[in-house]
Amino acid sequence: MTGVMMQYYEVCERELWFLSRDVEIDRANPAVVRGTHVDESAYDEKRRNFSIDGTIALDVLDSGQVVEVKPSSSLVEPAKLQLLYYLWYLDRVVGVEKSGVLAHPTERQRETVELTDENATRVEDAIRGVHAVVTSDSPPPAEEKPFCESCAYYDFCWSC
Amino acid sequence: MDRNYHVFSDGRIERNDDTVRLVTEDGEKKYLPVENAEALFLHGQIDYNTRLVSFLNDHGVAMHVFGWNDYYAGSIVPKRGQTSGQTLVEQVRAYDDPERRRDLAAKFVAGSIHNMQTNVQYYDNRGHDFGPIRDRLDACRSALDDAESVEEAMGVEATARRAYYSTFDEILPEEFVFGGRKYNPPNNEVNSLISFGNSLVYANVVSAIRATALDPAISYLHEPGERRYSLALDIADLFKPLLTDRVVFRLVNRNQLTTDSFESELNSCLLTDAGRKTFSKAFEETLERTVEHPRLDRKVSYQYLLRMEAYKLKKHLLTGEEYVPFERWW
Ligand code: SF4
Repeated sequence: MTGVMMQYYEVCERELWFLSRDVEIDRANPAVVRGTHVDESAYDEKRRNFSIDGTIALDVLDSGQVVEVKPSSSLVEPAKLQLLYYLWYLDRVVGVEKSGVLAHPTERQRETVELTDENATRVEDAIRGVHAVVTSDSPPPAEEKPFCESCAYYDFCWSC
Repeated sequence: MDRNYHVFSDGRIERNDDTVRLVTEDGEKKYLPVENAEALFLHGQIDYNTRLVSFLNDHGVAMHVFGWNDYYAGSIVPKRGQTSGQTLVEQVRAYDDPERRRDLAAKFVAGSIHNMQTNVQYYDNRGHDFGPIRDRLDACRSALDDAESVEEAMGVEATARRAYYSTFDEILPEEFVFGGRKYNPPNNEVNSLISFGNSLVYANVVSAIRATALDPAISYLHEPGERRYSLALDIADLFKPLLTDRVVFRLVNRNQLTTDSFESELNSCLLTDAGRKTFSKAFEETLERTVEHPRLDRKVSYQYLLRMEAYKLKKHLLTGEEYVPFERWW
Protein backbone atom coordinates (compact mmCIF):
# COMPACT_ATOMS: atom_id res chain seq x y z
CA MET A 1 0.00 0.00 0.00
CA THR A 2 1.47 3.33 -1.07
CA GLY A 3 1.24 6.66 0.69
CA VAL A 4 -0.77 8.16 -2.12
CA MET A 5 -3.46 5.52 -1.62
CA MET A 6 -3.87 6.79 1.94
CA GLN A 7 -4.21 10.28 0.64
CA TYR A 8 -6.80 9.33 -1.95
CA TYR A 9 -8.72 7.35 0.63
CA GLU A 10 -9.17 10.52 2.62
CA VAL A 11 -9.92 12.68 -0.44
CA CYS A 12 -12.30 10.46 -2.37
CA GLU A 13 -12.79 6.70 -2.27
CA ARG A 14 -13.89 6.67 -5.88
CA GLU A 15 -10.61 8.26 -6.86
CA LEU A 16 -8.77 5.60 -4.89
CA TRP A 17 -10.67 2.87 -6.70
CA PHE A 18 -9.79 4.37 -10.09
CA LEU A 19 -6.14 4.58 -9.04
CA SER A 20 -6.15 0.92 -8.09
CA ARG A 21 -7.50 0.00 -11.55
CA ASP A 22 -4.83 1.87 -13.54
CA VAL A 23 -7.28 4.34 -15.00
CA GLU A 24 -5.17 6.70 -17.05
CA ILE A 25 -4.53 10.07 -15.48
CA ASP A 26 -5.59 13.10 -17.45
CA ARG A 27 -2.25 14.83 -17.71
CA ALA A 28 -3.74 17.78 -19.50
CA ASN A 29 -5.86 18.74 -16.49
CA PRO A 30 -4.40 22.10 -15.37
CA ALA A 31 -4.75 21.27 -11.69
CA VAL A 32 -2.86 18.02 -12.18
CA VAL A 33 -0.06 19.85 -13.93
CA ARG A 34 0.12 22.41 -11.12
CA GLY A 35 0.09 19.78 -8.37
CA THR A 36 3.04 17.89 -9.83
CA HIS A 37 4.96 21.12 -10.06
CA VAL A 38 4.42 22.15 -6.42
CA ASP A 39 5.63 18.83 -5.15
CA GLU A 40 8.80 18.83 -7.21
CA SER A 41 9.88 22.41 -6.77
CA ALA A 42 8.76 23.24 -3.27
CA TYR A 43 10.88 23.10 -0.18
CA ASP A 44 14.45 24.09 -0.70
CA GLU A 45 15.58 22.80 2.67
CA LYS A 46 17.68 19.66 2.30
CA ARG A 47 15.65 16.51 2.10
CA ARG A 48 16.55 13.00 1.12
CA ASN A 49 14.28 10.51 -0.51
CA PHE A 50 14.06 6.99 0.89
CA SER A 51 12.36 4.07 -0.67
CA ILE A 52 11.31 1.28 1.63
CA ASP A 53 10.26 -2.20 0.49
CA GLY A 54 9.69 -0.77 -2.97
CA THR A 55 6.26 0.62 -2.05
CA ILE A 56 6.91 3.52 0.27
CA ALA A 57 8.82 6.58 -0.79
CA LEU A 58 9.31 9.26 1.81
CA ASP A 59 11.37 12.38 2.33
CA VAL A 60 13.50 12.89 5.42
CA LEU A 61 14.92 16.26 6.45
CA ASP A 62 18.37 16.85 7.93
CA SER A 63 16.65 17.15 11.30
CA GLY A 64 15.59 13.50 10.95
CA GLN A 65 11.93 14.34 10.62
CA VAL A 66 9.80 12.84 7.88
CA VAL A 67 8.35 15.62 5.77
CA GLU A 68 5.19 15.71 3.73
CA VAL A 69 4.36 18.70 1.60
CA LYS A 70 0.72 19.63 1.37
CA PRO A 71 -0.03 21.28 -1.95
CA SER A 72 -2.94 23.37 -0.74
CA SER A 73 -4.55 24.29 2.53
CA SER A 74 -7.77 22.53 1.53
CA LEU A 75 -6.05 19.15 1.52
CA VAL A 76 -4.50 19.13 4.99
CA GLU A 77 -6.12 15.97 6.28
CA PRO A 78 -5.17 13.77 3.32
CA ALA A 79 -1.54 14.90 3.54
CA LYS A 80 -1.59 14.36 7.28
CA LEU A 81 -2.94 10.84 6.95
CA GLN A 82 -0.25 10.05 4.41
CA LEU A 83 2.43 11.33 6.77
CA LEU A 84 0.96 9.39 9.67
CA TYR A 85 1.00 6.28 7.55
CA TYR A 86 4.74 6.74 6.92
CA LEU A 87 5.36 7.22 10.64
CA TRP A 88 3.26 4.19 11.44
CA TYR A 89 5.07 2.10 8.81
CA LEU A 90 8.47 3.15 10.11
CA ASP A 91 7.46 2.37 13.65
CA ARG A 92 5.48 -0.86 13.24
CA VAL A 93 7.18 -2.44 10.23
CA VAL A 94 10.71 -1.10 10.10
CA GLY A 95 11.09 -0.47 13.83
CA VAL A 96 12.29 3.12 13.95
CA GLU A 97 10.50 5.89 15.74
CA LYS A 98 10.29 9.20 13.92
CA SER A 99 8.32 12.37 14.11
CA GLY A 100 6.99 14.17 11.11
CA VAL A 101 6.45 17.62 9.76
CA LEU A 102 3.64 18.75 7.58
CA ALA A 103 4.83 21.64 5.48
CA HIS A 104 3.06 24.15 3.35
CA PRO A 105 5.90 25.94 1.55
CA THR A 106 3.93 28.67 -0.18
CA GLU A 107 2.34 29.71 3.10
CA ARG A 108 5.51 29.12 5.12
CA GLN A 109 3.68 27.02 7.66
CA ARG A 110 4.77 23.79 9.27
CA GLU A 111 3.13 21.56 11.77
CA THR A 112 4.77 18.78 13.77
CA VAL A 113 2.99 15.45 13.65
CA GLU A 114 3.51 12.59 16.12
CA LEU A 115 2.34 9.00 16.01
CA THR A 116 0.13 8.98 19.13
CA ASP A 117 -2.01 5.96 20.00
CA GLU A 118 -5.01 7.76 18.64
CA ASN A 119 -3.22 8.50 15.36
CA ALA A 120 -2.04 4.91 15.07
CA THR A 121 -5.63 3.73 15.38
CA ARG A 122 -6.62 6.19 12.69
CA VAL A 123 -3.96 4.77 10.36
CA GLU A 124 -5.00 1.18 11.06
CA ASP A 125 -8.64 2.00 10.34
CA ALA A 126 -7.59 3.66 7.12
CA ILE A 127 -5.55 0.64 6.04
CA ARG A 128 -8.62 -1.54 6.46
CA GLY A 129 -10.65 1.10 4.65
CA VAL A 130 -8.29 1.23 1.68
CA HIS A 131 -8.31 -2.53 1.45
CA ALA A 132 -12.10 -2.62 1.40
CA VAL A 133 -12.27 -0.02 -1.36
CA VAL A 134 -9.70 -1.56 -3.68
CA THR A 135 -11.00 -5.09 -3.35
CA SER A 136 -14.56 -4.12 -4.09
CA ASP A 137 -15.90 -4.89 -7.58
CA SER A 138 -17.15 -1.39 -8.24
CA PRO A 139 -16.31 2.06 -6.97
CA PRO A 140 -18.55 4.18 -4.78
CA PRO A 141 -20.87 6.28 -6.96
CA ALA A 142 -19.78 9.70 -8.18
CA GLU A 143 -20.56 12.50 -5.80
CA GLU A 144 -19.67 16.08 -6.59
CA LYS A 145 -16.94 17.27 -4.22
CA PRO A 146 -15.18 20.61 -3.93
CA PHE A 147 -11.93 19.16 -5.28
CA CYS A 148 -13.44 17.22 -8.19
CA GLU A 149 -12.22 19.92 -10.58
CA SER A 150 -8.62 19.22 -9.64
CA CYS A 151 -9.01 15.43 -9.72
CA ALA A 152 -6.95 13.54 -12.28
CA TYR A 153 -9.98 11.41 -13.12
CA TYR A 154 -12.48 14.23 -13.45
CA ASP A 155 -13.43 13.73 -17.10
CA PHE A 156 -13.44 9.98 -16.79
CA CYS A 157 -15.51 10.10 -13.61
CA TRP A 158 -18.18 12.45 -14.98
CA SER A 159 -18.27 11.37 -18.63
CA CYS A 160 -21.75 10.27 -19.45
CA MET B 1 -6.71 20.28 -28.03
CA ASP B 2 -4.46 18.00 -30.06
CA ARG B 3 -4.57 18.68 -33.77
CA ASN B 4 -4.69 16.59 -36.89
CA TYR B 5 -2.38 17.44 -39.78
CA HIS B 6 -3.38 16.49 -43.30
CA VAL B 7 -0.77 16.06 -46.00
CA PHE B 8 -2.07 16.13 -49.56
CA SER B 9 1.06 16.53 -51.62
CA ASP B 10 3.29 13.71 -52.85
CA GLY B 11 6.82 13.45 -51.48
CA ARG B 12 8.42 12.24 -48.31
CA ILE B 13 8.15 12.96 -44.63
CA GLU B 14 11.17 12.52 -42.45
CA ARG B 15 12.52 13.22 -39.05
CA ASN B 16 14.67 16.33 -39.04
CA ASP B 17 16.31 16.73 -35.61
CA ASP B 18 13.37 17.28 -33.31
CA THR B 19 10.82 18.07 -35.96
CA VAL B 20 8.96 16.34 -38.74
CA ARG B 21 9.72 17.67 -42.16
CA LEU B 22 7.70 17.26 -45.29
CA VAL B 23 9.61 17.44 -48.56
CA THR B 24 7.27 17.68 -51.52
CA GLU B 25 8.08 16.38 -54.98
CA ASP B 26 9.05 19.82 -56.22
CA GLY B 27 11.53 20.21 -53.37
CA GLU B 28 9.46 22.45 -51.12
CA LYS B 29 10.03 21.91 -47.38
CA LYS B 30 7.44 22.26 -44.66
CA TYR B 31 7.73 21.58 -40.96
CA LEU B 32 4.96 19.93 -39.01
CA PRO B 33 4.74 20.75 -35.32
CA VAL B 34 4.48 17.42 -33.52
CA GLU B 35 4.25 18.74 -29.95
CA ASN B 36 0.53 19.33 -30.15
CA ALA B 37 -0.29 16.83 -32.88
CA GLU B 38 -2.81 14.07 -32.42
CA ALA B 39 -2.30 12.43 -35.80
CA LEU B 40 -0.95 12.85 -39.31
CA PHE B 41 -3.25 12.03 -42.18
CA LEU B 42 -1.41 11.11 -45.35
CA HIS B 43 -3.45 11.52 -48.52
CA GLY B 44 -0.75 11.68 -51.17
CA GLN B 45 1.97 9.28 -52.22
CA ILE B 46 4.35 9.65 -49.32
CA ASP B 47 7.61 7.90 -48.49
CA TYR B 48 8.76 7.53 -44.91
CA ASN B 49 11.21 5.42 -42.99
CA THR B 50 11.43 3.65 -39.65
CA ARG B 51 13.28 6.57 -38.12
CA LEU B 52 10.21 8.72 -38.66
CA VAL B 53 7.93 6.01 -37.31
CA SER B 54 9.85 5.71 -34.04
CA PHE B 55 9.99 9.48 -33.71
CA LEU B 56 6.21 9.71 -34.04
CA ASN B 57 5.91 6.81 -31.65
CA ASP B 58 7.95 8.68 -29.04
CA HIS B 59 5.69 11.68 -29.41
CA GLY B 60 2.50 9.66 -29.30
CA VAL B 61 1.43 10.77 -32.76
CA ALA B 62 -0.58 8.38 -34.90
CA MET B 63 -0.28 8.21 -38.67
CA HIS B 64 -3.33 7.40 -40.78
CA VAL B 65 -2.80 6.51 -44.39
CA PHE B 66 -5.48 7.25 -46.96
CA GLY B 67 -5.23 5.48 -50.28
CA TRP B 68 -7.56 4.68 -53.17
CA ASN B 69 -10.70 2.62 -53.41
CA ASP B 70 -12.47 3.20 -50.13
CA TYR B 71 -9.92 5.75 -48.99
CA TYR B 72 -8.70 4.33 -45.69
CA ALA B 73 -5.57 2.23 -46.09
CA GLY B 74 -4.25 1.74 -42.56
CA SER B 75 -2.81 3.31 -39.45
CA ILE B 76 0.47 3.27 -37.65
CA VAL B 77 -0.52 3.74 -34.06
CA PRO B 78 2.08 4.49 -31.41
CA LYS B 79 2.24 2.11 -28.52
CA ARG B 80 0.47 3.44 -25.50
CA GLY B 81 2.18 4.83 -22.47
CA GLN B 82 -0.38 3.10 -20.38
CA THR B 83 -1.57 -0.44 -20.52
CA SER B 84 -3.90 -2.08 -18.11
CA GLY B 85 -4.34 -5.79 -17.78
CA GLN B 86 -7.47 -5.20 -15.77
CA THR B 87 -9.10 -3.22 -18.57
CA LEU B 88 -8.30 -5.92 -21.11
CA VAL B 89 -9.70 -8.63 -18.88
CA GLU B 90 -12.94 -6.72 -18.35
CA GLN B 91 -13.20 -5.98 -22.06
CA VAL B 92 -12.95 -9.66 -22.90
CA ARG B 93 -15.34 -10.66 -20.12
CA ALA B 94 -18.06 -8.40 -21.49
CA TYR B 95 -17.44 -9.76 -24.97
CA ASP B 96 -17.68 -13.34 -23.75
CA ASP B 97 -20.95 -12.84 -21.91
CA PRO B 98 -23.68 -13.06 -24.61
CA GLU B 99 -26.09 -10.97 -22.57
CA ARG B 100 -23.63 -8.14 -21.98
CA ARG B 101 -22.34 -8.20 -25.53
CA ARG B 102 -25.87 -7.98 -26.88
CA ASP B 103 -26.64 -5.06 -24.55
CA LEU B 104 -23.59 -3.13 -25.62
CA ALA B 105 -24.25 -3.86 -29.30
CA ALA B 106 -27.84 -2.66 -28.89
CA LYS B 107 -26.65 0.52 -27.20
CA PHE B 108 -24.35 1.37 -30.09
CA VAL B 109 -27.23 0.83 -32.50
CA ALA B 110 -29.67 2.83 -30.35
CA GLY B 111 -27.27 5.78 -30.24
CA SER B 112 -26.68 5.60 -33.98
CA ILE B 113 -30.40 5.59 -34.71
CA HIS B 114 -30.96 8.54 -32.40
CA ASN B 115 -28.27 10.52 -34.20
CA MET B 116 -29.74 9.65 -37.59
CA GLN B 117 -33.10 10.85 -36.26
CA THR B 118 -31.72 14.25 -35.32
CA ASN B 119 -30.47 14.78 -38.88
CA VAL B 120 -33.78 13.67 -40.38
CA GLN B 121 -35.68 15.88 -38.00
CA TYR B 122 -33.49 18.85 -38.87
CA TYR B 123 -34.40 18.55 -42.55
CA ASP B 124 -37.99 17.62 -41.76
CA ASN B 125 -38.26 21.06 -40.15
CA ARG B 126 -36.73 22.67 -43.22
CA GLY B 127 -39.21 22.00 -45.96
CA HIS B 128 -38.89 18.24 -46.43
CA ASP B 129 -41.56 15.77 -45.50
CA PHE B 130 -39.71 13.02 -43.70
CA GLY B 131 -42.59 11.98 -41.44
CA PRO B 132 -42.71 8.42 -42.80
CA ILE B 133 -38.93 8.01 -42.47
CA ARG B 134 -39.04 9.29 -38.92
CA ASP B 135 -41.71 6.70 -38.15
CA ARG B 136 -39.56 3.97 -39.67
CA LEU B 137 -36.61 5.01 -37.55
CA ASP B 138 -38.80 5.11 -34.45
CA ALA B 139 -39.97 1.59 -35.26
CA CYS B 140 -36.36 0.45 -35.60
CA ARG B 141 -35.57 1.93 -32.25
CA SER B 142 -38.41 -0.04 -30.66
CA ALA B 143 -37.53 -3.22 -32.54
CA LEU B 144 -34.12 -3.00 -30.99
CA ASP B 145 -35.54 -3.78 -27.57
CA ASP B 146 -36.62 -7.17 -28.90
CA ALA B 147 -33.36 -7.95 -30.61
CA GLU B 148 -32.10 -11.05 -28.90
CA SER B 149 -28.70 -11.30 -30.45
CA VAL B 150 -25.93 -9.17 -31.83
CA GLU B 151 -26.95 -10.30 -35.34
CA GLU B 152 -30.47 -9.04 -34.81
CA ALA B 153 -29.17 -5.71 -33.51
CA MET B 154 -26.99 -5.52 -36.61
CA GLY B 155 -30.04 -6.24 -38.76
CA VAL B 156 -31.97 -3.41 -37.14
CA GLU B 157 -29.06 -1.06 -37.68
CA ALA B 158 -28.91 -1.98 -41.36
CA THR B 159 -32.64 -1.39 -41.80
CA ALA B 160 -32.42 1.95 -40.02
CA ARG B 161 -29.46 3.08 -42.04
CA ARG B 162 -31.21 2.19 -45.30
CA ALA B 163 -34.25 4.24 -44.32
CA TYR B 164 -32.01 7.08 -43.23
CA TYR B 165 -29.95 7.04 -46.42
CA SER B 166 -33.15 7.23 -48.47
CA THR B 167 -33.47 10.85 -47.33
CA PHE B 168 -30.15 11.81 -48.89
CA ASP B 169 -31.49 11.95 -52.45
CA GLU B 170 -33.99 14.56 -51.28
CA ILE B 171 -31.64 16.58 -49.11
CA LEU B 172 -28.94 16.82 -51.77
CA PRO B 173 -29.29 18.59 -55.14
CA GLU B 174 -30.42 16.65 -58.23
CA GLU B 175 -27.04 16.11 -59.81
CA PHE B 176 -25.93 14.19 -56.72
CA VAL B 177 -27.68 10.88 -57.18
CA PHE B 178 -27.15 8.44 -54.34
CA GLY B 179 -29.46 5.46 -54.59
CA GLY B 180 -28.05 3.54 -51.63
CA ARG B 181 -24.75 2.70 -50.12
CA LYS B 182 -21.99 1.10 -52.20
CA TYR B 183 -18.48 0.51 -50.99
CA ASN B 184 -15.14 -0.48 -52.34
CA PRO B 185 -14.93 1.45 -54.55
CA PRO B 186 -17.72 3.99 -54.14
CA ASN B 187 -19.74 4.18 -57.36
CA ASN B 188 -20.96 7.78 -57.25
CA GLU B 189 -20.28 11.16 -55.68
CA VAL B 190 -22.44 10.69 -52.59
CA ASN B 191 -21.00 7.28 -51.81
CA SER B 192 -17.56 8.68 -52.30
CA LEU B 193 -18.21 11.48 -49.82
CA ILE B 194 -19.67 9.12 -47.25
CA SER B 195 -16.72 6.75 -47.62
CA PHE B 196 -14.22 9.54 -47.23
CA GLY B 197 -16.01 11.12 -44.28
CA ASN B 198 -16.56 7.83 -42.50
CA SER B 199 -12.92 6.88 -42.84
CA LEU B 200 -11.98 10.21 -41.24
CA VAL B 201 -14.38 9.49 -38.38
CA TYR B 202 -12.91 6.03 -38.04
CA ALA B 203 -9.31 7.26 -37.93
CA ASN B 204 -10.19 9.84 -35.29
CA VAL B 205 -11.86 7.19 -33.17
CA VAL B 206 -8.71 5.07 -33.43
CA SER B 207 -6.80 8.03 -32.00
CA ALA B 208 -9.41 8.50 -29.26
CA ILE B 209 -9.26 4.86 -28.18
CA ARG B 210 -5.49 5.08 -28.02
CA ALA B 211 -5.84 7.61 -25.19
CA THR B 212 -7.34 4.88 -23.01
CA ALA B 213 -6.00 1.44 -22.22
CA LEU B 214 -8.82 -0.17 -24.21
CA ASP B 215 -7.82 -2.75 -26.78
CA PRO B 216 -9.10 -1.47 -30.13
CA ALA B 217 -9.53 -4.99 -31.51
CA ILE B 218 -12.12 -6.18 -28.98
CA SER B 219 -15.56 -5.02 -29.98
CA TYR B 220 -19.23 -5.72 -29.37
CA LEU B 221 -21.36 -4.77 -32.34
CA HIS B 222 -18.85 -5.66 -35.02
CA GLU B 223 -16.97 -8.93 -34.97
CA PRO B 224 -13.57 -8.53 -33.36
CA GLY B 225 -10.36 -8.99 -35.20
CA GLU B 226 -11.36 -8.06 -38.69
CA ARG B 227 -9.00 -6.11 -40.88
CA ARG B 228 -9.79 -2.90 -39.05
CA TYR B 229 -9.87 -2.01 -35.37
CA SER B 230 -13.35 -3.26 -34.75
CA LEU B 231 -13.95 -1.30 -31.53
CA ALA B 232 -13.34 1.86 -33.55
CA LEU B 233 -16.05 0.68 -35.96
CA ASP B 234 -18.50 0.29 -33.06
CA ILE B 235 -17.87 3.79 -31.75
CA ALA B 236 -17.57 5.45 -35.17
CA ASP B 237 -21.14 4.43 -36.06
CA LEU B 238 -22.43 6.73 -33.33
CA PHE B 239 -20.71 9.76 -34.77
CA LYS B 240 -21.16 9.36 -38.53
CA PRO B 241 -24.42 11.33 -38.68
CA LEU B 242 -22.94 14.21 -36.67
CA LEU B 243 -19.56 14.31 -38.38
CA THR B 244 -19.68 12.81 -41.88
CA ASP B 245 -23.25 13.41 -42.96
CA ARG B 246 -23.58 16.99 -41.75
CA VAL B 247 -20.35 17.92 -43.52
CA VAL B 248 -21.56 16.25 -46.72
CA PHE B 249 -24.88 18.12 -46.65
CA ARG B 250 -23.24 21.43 -45.88
CA LEU B 251 -20.53 21.28 -48.52
CA VAL B 252 -22.75 20.00 -51.30
CA ASN B 253 -25.74 22.23 -50.60
CA ARG B 254 -23.50 25.30 -50.46
CA ASN B 255 -21.79 24.34 -53.70
CA GLN B 256 -18.40 24.08 -52.07
CA LEU B 257 -18.22 20.63 -53.61
CA THR B 258 -19.64 20.08 -57.08
CA THR B 259 -19.53 17.18 -59.50
CA ASP B 260 -16.23 18.67 -60.70
CA SER B 261 -14.71 17.69 -57.35
CA PHE B 262 -14.71 14.03 -58.40
CA GLU B 263 -12.92 11.77 -60.82
CA SER B 264 -14.83 8.88 -62.30
CA GLU B 265 -13.16 5.84 -63.71
CA LEU B 266 -14.85 2.66 -64.81
CA ASN B 267 -17.18 1.94 -61.90
CA SER B 268 -15.48 4.06 -59.28
CA CYS B 269 -15.92 7.68 -58.33
CA LEU B 270 -13.35 9.34 -56.09
CA LEU B 271 -12.71 12.82 -54.76
CA THR B 272 -10.01 14.87 -56.46
CA ASP B 273 -7.16 16.23 -54.37
CA ALA B 274 -8.89 19.58 -54.21
CA GLY B 275 -12.10 17.87 -53.16
CA ARG B 276 -10.36 15.97 -50.40
CA LYS B 277 -8.79 19.19 -49.18
CA THR B 278 -12.11 20.96 -49.04
CA PHE B 279 -13.73 18.08 -47.22
CA SER B 280 -10.90 17.59 -44.73
CA LYS B 281 -10.85 21.27 -43.89
CA ALA B 282 -14.59 21.37 -43.21
CA PHE B 283 -14.28 18.14 -41.26
CA GLU B 284 -11.53 19.51 -39.03
CA GLU B 285 -13.56 22.64 -38.42
CA THR B 286 -16.43 20.45 -37.34
CA LEU B 287 -14.19 18.52 -34.95
CA GLU B 288 -13.20 21.81 -33.35
CA ARG B 289 -16.78 22.93 -32.75
CA THR B 290 -17.73 22.92 -29.12
CA VAL B 291 -20.82 22.18 -27.12
CA GLU B 292 -21.66 22.67 -23.47
CA HIS B 293 -21.27 19.37 -21.66
CA PRO B 294 -24.10 18.85 -19.17
CA ARG B 295 -22.03 17.12 -16.51
CA LEU B 296 -18.53 18.45 -16.96
CA ASP B 297 -19.87 21.98 -16.76
CA ARG B 298 -17.66 23.27 -19.53
CA LYS B 299 -17.52 23.32 -23.29
CA VAL B 300 -16.00 20.34 -25.05
CA SER B 301 -15.09 19.93 -28.72
CA TYR B 302 -16.74 17.37 -30.96
CA GLN B 303 -13.34 15.72 -31.16
CA TYR B 304 -13.25 15.41 -27.39
CA LEU B 305 -16.65 13.70 -27.51
CA LEU B 306 -14.89 10.80 -29.23
CA ARG B 307 -12.41 10.58 -26.38
CA MET B 308 -15.26 10.76 -23.86
CA GLU B 309 -17.00 7.91 -25.60
CA ALA B 310 -13.95 5.73 -25.08
CA TYR B 311 -13.87 6.81 -21.42
CA LYS B 312 -17.55 5.97 -20.99
CA LEU B 313 -17.14 2.53 -22.42
CA LYS B 314 -14.09 1.85 -20.32
CA LYS B 315 -15.86 3.11 -17.23
CA HIS B 316 -18.76 0.80 -17.88
CA LEU B 317 -16.45 -2.17 -18.40
CA LEU B 318 -14.45 -1.49 -15.25
CA THR B 319 -17.16 -0.37 -12.86
CA GLY B 320 -20.35 -1.91 -14.18
CA GLU B 321 -21.94 1.57 -14.23
CA GLU B 322 -24.37 1.90 -17.11
CA TYR B 323 -23.02 2.82 -20.52
CA VAL B 324 -25.19 5.44 -22.18
CA PRO B 325 -24.23 5.85 -25.85
CA PHE B 326 -23.58 9.25 -27.37
CA GLU B 327 -26.83 10.82 -28.43
CA ARG B 328 -26.74 14.35 -29.73
CA TRP B 329 -28.37 16.47 -27.00
CA TRP B 330 -28.30 19.90 -28.60
S1 SF4 C 1 -13.96 13.57 -9.93
FE1 SF4 C 1 -14.64 13.84 -7.82
S2 SF4 C 1 -15.95 12.07 -7.39
FE2 SF4 C 1 -14.78 11.61 -9.22
S3 SF4 C 1 -13.01 10.49 -8.50
FE3 SF4 C 1 -12.40 12.61 -8.65
S4 SF4 C 1 -12.78 13.49 -6.65
FE4 SF4 C 1 -13.87 11.54 -6.72
